[in-house]
Amino acid sequence: MRYPEPILKLIENFTRLPGVGPKTASRLAFFVLKMNEDHVLEFAKALVNAKRNLFYCSVCGHITDNDPCYICSDTSRDKSKICVVEQPKDVIAMENMRGFNGLYHVLHGAISPIEGISPEDIRIPDLLKRAQDESIKEIILATNPNIEGETTAMYILRLMKGTDLSITRIAHGLPVGGDLEYADEVTLSKAFEGRREL
Amino acid sequence: MYIKKILLKNYRNYSSLELNFDNKVNVFIGLNAQGKTNLMESIHVLAFAKSHRTTNDKELIKWDEEYAKIEGSIQKRNSTDILQLILSKKGKKARVNLIEKARLSEYVGNFNVVMFAPEDLNLVKGSPQVRRKFIDMELGQISPIYIYNLSTYQKVLLQRNNYLKKLSIKETTDLTTLDILTEQMVELAAKIVDKRLQFITLLENWAKGIHSDITNGIENLSINYKSSINVSEKPELSKMIQEYYDYYEKNKEREIYRGVTLFGPHRDDLELLVNSKDVQIYGSQGQQRTVALSLKLAEIELIKTETNEYPVLLLDDVLSELDNSRQTHLLDTIQNKVQTFVTTTNIDGIDHKVISEAKIFKVKNANIEY
Ligand SMILES: Nc1ncnc2c1ncn2[C@@H]1O[C@H](COP(=O)(O)OP(=O)(O)O)[C@@H](O)[C@H]1O
Ligand SMILES: [Mg+2]
Ligand SMILES: [Zn+2]
Repeated sequence: MRYPEPILKLIENFTRLPGVGPKTASRLAFFVLKMNEDHVLEFAKALVNAKRNLFYCSVCGHITDNDPCYICSDTSRDKSKICVVEQPKDVIAMENMRGFNGLYHVLHGAISPIEGISPEDIRIPDLLKRAQDESIKEIILATNPNIEGETTAMYILRLMKGTDLSITRIAHGLPVGGDLEYADEVTLSKAFEGRREL
Repeated sequence: MYIKKILLKNYRNYSSLELNFDNKVNVFIGLNAQGKTNLMESIHVLAFAKSHRTTNDKELIKWDEEYAKIEGSIQKRNSTDILQLILSKKGKKARVNLIEKARLSEYVGNFNVVMFAPEDLNLVKGSPQVRRKFIDMELGQISPIYIYNLSTYQKVLLQRNNYLKKLSIKETTDLTTLDILTEQMVELAAKIVDKRLQFITLLENWAKGIHSDITNGIENLSINYKSSINVSEKPELSKMIQEYYDYYEKNKEREIYRGVTLFGPHRDDLELLVNSKDVQIYGSQGQQRTVALSLKLAEIELIKTETNEYPVLLLDDVLSELDNSRQTHLLDTIQNKVQTFVTTTNIDGIDHKVISEAKIFKVKNANIEY
């Protein structure tokens, strides 16, 4: 049996979302048919609005609906520190921890030759430009604690060596979902080894 | 330790199987292609979360089925552990006592197994890859950190090879990225080789005595680790990291030209000497087989000293490949201490007390009777 065209379209669109397979997609599609029309309209508007009105901050690269973003334009924040992260969601995770009051720099990725991602592809040149500003004193490298994140952190460190910036590396927990390699005993033994002096 | 019971669901040619094992010797007799190796393989997979025959997990799932499941109850000195492994087309899930383990290094090591199959007779004669796999498997089951370092190394290696290729075809000229990948690699390489050197020393200790026994004191076995950069004898870790670093530095041009990583633990090998002669080159087939047997028996003892329990031994079609004196030596060694699984098409040729007291299973087209 074939579904009518509109529902097929809907299923197809849900399937494009990450983590949604055909089964879930059709369940969601049939759920939408049962929703009341106002809610469906609100949902559709929210999708379009998010896409149209959100963009990346021209300073730090975080998602925003104003440029510069609410963090970059917040005068109460410490403008001498920049925390370098891979993704906007990392900014949100850091903000939720409320421990950091400086600025961010979102790379939008990590160096990975296999995926064809080189330093120029991930806003490292922008970071270097920002770091030339006299007011910047400290760079905190908070890329993910996996190989690509580590490569990226070491790369940035290399470029900034010889400047009088203070550079530190923090690992903000394990990647979501738990990578197969991050064994408990390993995390422990890494902790014992101590963090490498940067 | 020993495995008390196994449950298979949709594993290879088994739709559904439940077997209770003897804690000493279990013999599986059957014609070819009936499912003997499949059963041995399932025990191996339960221990290592991977097969000794294939790297493609999908092959382990019964044809036309969605998933396979292996469950075993493992009796140890002070506990009984239930291990479960579910293989599906999407991936695998591993549980120990119903708790899911997301990491391979948390799972492997809960159940120790030593497998001796006809292809292991190739340990001496085969390619360096065969000997590296031997070290990695055995070291992996006693050292979770080794599994971690090895799999991280493999990932960095993949990135580095990819980058060297790009440099060699001049798709990029940035040497900083290469330096950083090298820096990441040298630390892992040194840690891996450091562990391997320790392991080889222990293994050699055991293997020497065993080999001498089997050969009535005529042959003296020694094992050398052949590293692709010739690391110094018994180096400190920090010194070895430096040695690797210098080596890559010195050979940078060559690696860029070739577009591939030419040195590291993935290129290392073992050298096996009998009476100071390389047995891979000069040994007879019989000598080579004896060395393979000595290494396997040494491994059993090594696991016992490292984990305080004997591993389970799987002898797939291999007993009949050994001559009488080696058979006797092997069976004497395991007698009353190592739970052992033997498969064979014919039991008549094997004359040993151990076999006459064994639990006998008959395997016919995925049916097992006893
Ligand atoms: N994924 C699979 N699904 C069903 N049958 C399989 C699968 N893989 C192998 N087999 C069958 O298993 C049999 C081989 O079993 P095996 O255990 O190797 O035999 P032996 O008893 O000689 O050791 C073959 O008949 C093969 O067709
Ligand atoms: Mg077989
Ligand atoms: Zn901003």
